[in-house]
Amino acid sequence: MSLFRFELRKLLLGKKTVILLLCLLALYSVVGLTSTMFLIGGNDSYRAYEESAAAWEGSFDSQKAAEAEKIYQEVSARYGTDARMIARSVKDQPEVILAVDYHAYTERVEEYWNGTPPERAEEPYGIALLQGKIAELESQGKQDTAACRELRGSLQRLEELGEPEFANILLWENLFNNWGEHMMQFLLFVPLAFVIAPVFSVERSSGMDSLILSSKNGRQKIVAAKLLSALIASVVVVVLYLVATFIFGFLPHGSFRGWDVAIQSVPAYARSMFRWKVWQLAAVGAVWLIFTGAVYSLLICFISSRMKSQMGTVGVSMAVLFVNVGLAAMGDAVTQRLGVLVDFGLANVTLAKEVFGGYKVFRVFGMNVSYPVMAFLVLTVIAAAAVFGVCRGQKSRTIA
Amino acid sequence: MELRFENVTKNYKGKKVLKGISLTMGTGVYGLLGPNGAGKTTMIRILADVLRPTKGSVLYDGKDIHATGDGYRAKIGYLPQDVSFYSDFTGRDYLEYSAALKGMEKTHAKKQIEELAYSVGLSDDLNRKCTAYSGGMQRRLGIAQALLDDPEILLLDEPTSGLDPYERIKFRNIISAYAKDRLVLLSTHIVSDVEQIAAHIMMMEYGAIWHIHTGREHIQMMEGRVWLAEMSAEQLMDYQNQAVISNVRAKDGRMEVRIIEEAKPAGDAVQAIPTLEDAYLYLFNYLPEKSGR
Repeated sequence: MSLFRFELRKLLLGKKTVILLLCLLALYSVVGLTSTMFLIGGNDSYRAYEESAAAWEGSFDSQKAAEAEKIYQEVSARYGTDARMIARSVKDQPEVILAVDYHAYTERVEEYWNGTPPERAEEPYGIALLQGKIAELESQGKQDTAACRELRGSLQRLEELGEPEFANILLWENLFNNWGEHMMQFLLFVPLAFVIAPVFSVERSSGMDSLILSSKNGRQKIVAAKLLSALIASVVVVVLYLVATFIFGFLPHGSFRGWDVAIQSVPAYARSMFRWKVWQLAAVGAVWLIFTGAVYSLLICFISSRMKSQMGTVGVSMAVLFVNVGLAAMGDAVTQRLGVLVDFGLANVTLAKEVFGGYKVFRVFGMNVSYPVMAFLVLTVIAAAAVFGVCRGQKSRTIA
Repeated sequence: MELRFENVTKNYKGKKVLKGISLTMGTGVYGLLGPNGAGKTTMIRILADVLRPTKGSVLYDGKDIHATGDGYRAKIGYLPQDVSFYSDFTGRDYLEYSAALKGMEKTHAKKQIEELAYSVGLSDDLNRKCTAYSGGMQRRLGIAQALLDDPEILLLDEPTSGLDPYERIKFRNIISAYAKDRLVLLSTHIVSDVEQIAAHIMMMEYGAIWHIHTGREHIQMMEGRVWLAEMSAEQLMDYQNQAVISNVRAKDGRMEVRIIEEAKPAGDAVQAIPTLEDAYLYLFNYLPEKSGR
């Protein structure tokens, strides 16, 4: 058996790991199932929603908007304005859910035309707002500045995309929530820390270090074998999550309705500048989660190579995750000060909706680089640094 | 083949564990004898390239072993003092994993694993979990691991701890047969481990090697220094604090005491035939560091 197979077996096929993976599969299935069950009542409710929504789908309709607004006002008067609270309260009333969804859609259309409210500290968005800002810069003679060019680019993209359309994306939205909320980071990355942590630290705690470090392949080839097995283990865990939440998210209602609509119909992606269909976003989101999971795993490998115990590795890995999530959860005032630390922290770059859901641009050496490209580059650099650190560490490692 | 220590010093937490060791080893079995804490394991670890000297270097055929890296490590077999195992590995897994670490070709590895398992008496136990092995079996498995890929340099740190007398004899036979054209360095504090098989015996304490001789030379050195004397149990109680005693045997109500001493310790004392154990006790009790003990 090759070194790689042994390393993979040690990491992934141990009795404890197999039990952990089975538990995770069960947990992820429950997550997928319950999130769908909380979304809308039984199968009959969903069928009713689907039928009603079919009549509402398409371009913006002011008459339907007025109708939806009326229902929304009644609902919010009773349950408050928190979308989740409303969703839970009316899950057995498909016509109300539809009205609430249409109300949210109306707000998105409003934002598309008139832009972000001035108090919101986000990237400029909206036709009128962008036009206004461009006109302001042009009047100041700044029409050739990078900022002005960036705004023009945004405006052009927004016009090309056109006004968002309403569609029944109820189940897909649920899937994207499962794949893109902070809860996912805990459900996915905490177990990942437990699975990957032993990769190097087990050799120290088991005392196998002497044998490995004194062998021909114990300084270099083993690093490749261990990193590769850690990557495969991370892919397995992420794929378990993706598959379980996908299957159990759609299974109860047996419908993929909305798979081929534009992603701008999904609230979290309304501001996205990508001309993707929902199914394409799902594919990209899955690949992105696999990629970010792999980067986090390499980071754990690095931590593991420096720690003497597995629990120490798990602790530091989780601390890294929690600090990142904590920073991202701070208010706008803090996150704006921390800037790139939050933008490229684990909490944000692992969420597809943050990376692909807006239009954020960074100036790098005079060039405009979009957030997804920058996120990819930064994560690649982090991964490369982790691999380099592991290689260097193993080469010079000794036993005291 | 030549392995040379050039003024090798190792400091650990402010303490000098090895003090400028310089020596040259060729093929054959070398026994490294010394009490616990003498620096034997540190020396073996430096040779196994799992520890770097603070000063000095170790040269294999004139090249620094650390600079040679993989090329040097491909030539060594190492049995650490504490053999460890992964909890879910069988004996076969452990040996196959070791073979993979050594970069052995698969078919060759499988064949050699069977041969070595047979020679260390583990053929019937290869498919059992290592953690279910007795201490002696684990040690034998470790020895088989060290012998995989026929290393030119075999480094054995306390190889016989946990082995019963029969297993010790078997181990000595394996090493003797193996040592031809190879260098075997065997570290131990058990004199009988090296007495029979080591061509050169190095006496080590306080991080330094004090004597390198053959076993015969060590024994010759002791001629006229080992005595047998008879005394009462009460006399022995007083006497043992002022002399090096290598053995005491009750005989007809009196004590026959084996004494290591430069001069005749008592009027009725008679000279005894020295052994390597006597030499060991003599050397380590008359080191300059121990004067006044």
